[in-house]
Amino acid sequence: MTNTTNTQQKCWLTFEGGHQNEPCLWKMTVEFPDVAFDIRQASVQKDIGIMAVLFTGKEDRVTAAIQYLTNLGVKVDPVEGGDLVAG
Amino acid sequence: MLDFLLDKKGFFVAATRPKTHGQGRDTERQMSYVRALTCKECAADYPVEPRTVCENDFGPLEVAFDYTAMRGNVTRESIQAGPDSLWRYKDLLPVEGPPRAGLRSGMTPLIRADNLAKKLGVKDLYIKDDSANYPTFSYKDRVVSIALTKALEFGFDTVACASTGNLAHSVAAHAAAAGVRSFVLIPHDLEEGKIVGSLVFGPRMVKIHGNYDDVNRLCSQIADKYNWAIVNVNLRPFYTEGAKTLGFEIAEQLGWQLPKHTVVPVAGGTLLPKVWKGYREFIELGLVKDNQPKMYAAQAQGCSPVVEALRNGRELFKPQKPDTIAKSIAIGNPADGYYVIKIVNDSGGYGAAAQDQEILDAVKLLAQTEGVFTEPAGGTTLACAIKLIESGRIPRDEPICVCITGNGLKTVEAMQGQFADVPIIPAKLNDFDRVVDELAQQPAPGAALTSPLVSVDPPTPRTQPTAATKPATP
Repeated sequence: MTNTTNTQQKCWLTFEGGHQNEPCLWKMTVEFPDVAFDIRQASVQKDIGIMAVLFTGKEDRVTAAIQYLTNLGVKVDPVEGGDLVAG
Repeated sequence: MLDFLLDKKGFFVAATRPKTHGQGRDTERQMSYVRALTCKECAADYPVEPRTVCENDFGPLEVAFDYTAMRGNVTRESIQAGPDSLWRYKDLLPVEGPPRAGLRSGMTPLIRADNLAKKLGVKDLYIKDDSANYPTFSYKDRVVSIALTKALEFGFDTVACASTGNLAHSVAAHAAAAGVRSFVLIPHDLEEGKIVGSLVFGPRMVKIHGNYDDVNRLCSQIADKYNWAIVNVNLRPFYTEGAKTLGFEIAEQLGWQLPKHTVVPVAGGTLLPKVWKGYREFIELGLVKDNQPKMYAAQAQGCSPVVEALRNGRELFKPQKPDTIAKSIAIGNPADGYYVIKIVNDSGGYGAAAQDQEILDAVKLLAQTEGVFTEPAGGTTLACAIKLIESGRIPRDEPICVCITGNGLKTVEAMQGQFADVPIIPAKLNDFDRVVDELAQQPAPGAALTSPLVSVDPPTPRTQPTAATKPATP
């Protein structure tokens, strides 16, 4: 059963290891044309890129799209998270 | 003047605001000097509420104060008339009513570390010793004091955190003292030994199947659904302000002066920017002279994303997978790392990273010269300070402050194997005489630092090296 609730998810995307030079978000939209992405800020340097992105769509599709990006090698972190310390 | 009342435990707490405070200001804002929450990126203002990020660019929100209104009202005298705790700086904190937590937190010793200074060949060395903080012996008692007070002001009935160490201990202890329900979320496979330090205070503890990232993610969802105060998530702007008090105390305890060089451990990146903000606020209010203080970041080599970025001249850090003995600062993707890099660079400071053995050696050195037993995070800070001194990044003849943020008694297991076997002898004086002779052959206390401290890039001299910047000869 699919979850058809509309949702928005704020994420930090970190691109490194060559992924900063790949059109990862474009690839995502090819696979998930029903998931909208809104880049709120971005900083890209030679060996790393960081983006703040708002994803909008059906909950299960947004989740799948984020998983797709993760599988591509993009690090995806929620915007509103704390620091968890292991000590 | 502030008026004071004794609280239930016999400690002084501020009862009213200064009589002159708030004159000519609207009634709603008379209780504090907080102006708004402001986005650190785009400067958009938001109302003072449990909110963490800017809706426009997701930049972190920070508490903004009305310094114009403070000027003349917040003075050295008004601060000195306050309680002997971090609440003496209440006018500079985002709290409306009386303090509700941490009434005895803060005002930890600033030690003039002459023995250590002599050992390192520096003139003025100070240790800001938050290993003696109350009640849970780490700097987290500062941030949690503010977060819990703010949580109660906002009407939350439950405070929570995802942590396995100092933060969990502090949240659980402060909540117990304030009579507030607390939840501590931990990964399911955490060692039992780390759990006791929190459980003793009676929090509800929940083990979560998954890794740290999973627990962290769940915390965000919990904050939304249950309307709980997750101190370092939805109360983060207020929580972090508590870290300023470390900087305030250093300045006040130095006789209203700033140290020229401050070395701060970097984990999530809360502390260094807030110590800096504390310094800047005192300068802004005319409480201290602006001596162009420099900030230095200290990290363990096994988790040094910020220092690695500083060394390579990058504004952005690359997240790392932590692998270090200094677990309380092992955050591979620090939330405020970007701001640490910016402030360190803006101030003219630098960063250093220490190997695990260097960290443990520095723990011993601090203990054996100044009698302060710190956790590996503190050893990291001292080891990095030594590297920065040895490399000439920090001149030997200018005042240096090293921030020690946690107590070694919480992490004694980290020191296992670091000492020679303790002799066992029969209860006979002859045997004791023999052992005394044997022990006399061992290195004297304070000779613990054995490994060479290297690998910090020396500064590039602008002209000819001077006595102050020339790398020291060992």
